[in-house]
Amino acid sequence: MTTRVAAADLHISISAQPLFEVFGITITNAVFTGAVGALIVVAILSFVAIKVRRGSHNRFTGLIQWVFEGLLKQIHAVIPDQRVARHITPLAVTIFFVVLVQYWMSVIPGPESLTWNGVPLLRSLTADLNFTLALAVITIVTVQLYAIKHLGVFANAGRYFRNPLKDPIGAFEGVLELIGEASRGAALALRLFGNAFAGEVLLVIIAVLTSYFASVVLPFFMAFELFIGFIQAYVFFMLALIFTALAVSHHDSDEHTHPSDDPISTKVVHQG
Amino acid sequence: MTFYTTVAEATSGSGDLLSALGINWQLLIIQIVAFLLLVALLGRFVYPWLMKSVDQRQKDIEDAKNASIEAQRAAQQSQKDGEALLDEARREATDIVATAKQEASDIVSTSEEKSRLVAERIAKEARDDIGRDVEAARKQLRAETLELVALATEKVVGKVHTKKPDEALIAEALKESK
Repeated sequence: MTTRVAAADLHISISAQPLFEVFGITITNAVFTGAVGALIVVAILSFVAIKVRRGSHNRFTGLIQWVFEGLLKQIHAVIPDQRVARHITPLAVTIFFVVLVQYWMSVIPGPESLTWNGVPLLRSLTADLNFTLALAVITIVTVQLYAIKHLGVFANAGRYFRNPLKDPIGAFEGVLELIGEASRGAALALRLFGNAFAGEVLLVIIAVLTSYFASVVLPFFMAFELFIGFIQAYVFFMLALIFTALAVSHHDSDEHTHPSDDPISTKVVHQG
Repeated sequence: MTFYTTVAEATSGSGDLLSALGINWQLLIIQIVAFLLLVALLGRFVYPWLMKSVDQRQKDIEDAKNASIEAQRAAQQSQKDGEALLDEARREATDIVATAKQEASDIVSTSEEKSRLVAERIAKEARDDIGRDVEAARKQLRAETLELVALATEKVVGKVHTKKPDEALIAEALKESK
């Protein structure tokens, strides 16, 4: 196997390869593919929205509407606050559709033959750490914004920074919380990148190993990758929701445990 | 699927982990901005229509559910009404049948009474007729017997007796024979 892979002279690049420059900005093959994928997402969703607006439906619009409705139900199930759920919907749904389309673009057979100055023109955006990191940053920042909106700036900062002299355990817990926030973002970015990149590498390796039988074997792996793409999009979507729900629920739990609402605490306060 | 047939970038020499992973701060910021623009664009022009259709569908489902509940309640109500009407009809029918039976029974009783009276009257008349006939026959028989006795006495005694002393004798003889 090693001999065959070596014989194929495969060179796998973790980073996306530059194609050309626009106004001094390097455009990589991942960015180019991402732009195409974004256009596909916009085209599909706009087409469905126009069809829905006109009241003319077909199976495709029904499928997209069904998926959209399922996502909405998930959002409302995870986030109990309906107002927050409505606000987070555009971000969460866009994450799902963009990740799904971008991931599935890595499974399309043939684009590797399209090259620009010897560089493959198309490379899935999800296999570019810049994109997955960007999504993770957007998600974590959005969650922090919701936390600040519900808790307030100082109360939210108080979750991470506490006086070690007064509350040493709480201060340590705050540090852990801060590390947890960072690790959440890193995990979001690396999980998606790892799966997408490994999926592409897997398809290349299977194609090389199976040689002439690749046309028979690869479709099974491609179908598997399509499934994995759906799972990854759903996981990213759900994690964004769960992080938001946690930020909001912090506020709710604080409200529920307010001394005036808690009969036992109230009793203690009066006795004190 | 993309085949990476290009030469891998030399990453180990630079020692920069982020560069080795292909992270470019310029591209990162551009992609963040681009994605936020995409979210804003879709959130402004696309999702409202889809959410509106979902809300409308939910509303339709809710309306249909309410209509179904209402129809079910109306069906139950009409079933109750029907049952009440049926009960009323049954009760009325029972009353009618009972009244009819009572009336029939009264008619039969009346008829029987009338029949009994008629029968008793006929029987009384018949008894009266028979009594009269018997009395008449008895009188006729008595007269004939007296005549026969008188004739027989004439034959035996050989003389004619007057009617008055003979009748007295015969009557006495008859009384004794009894």
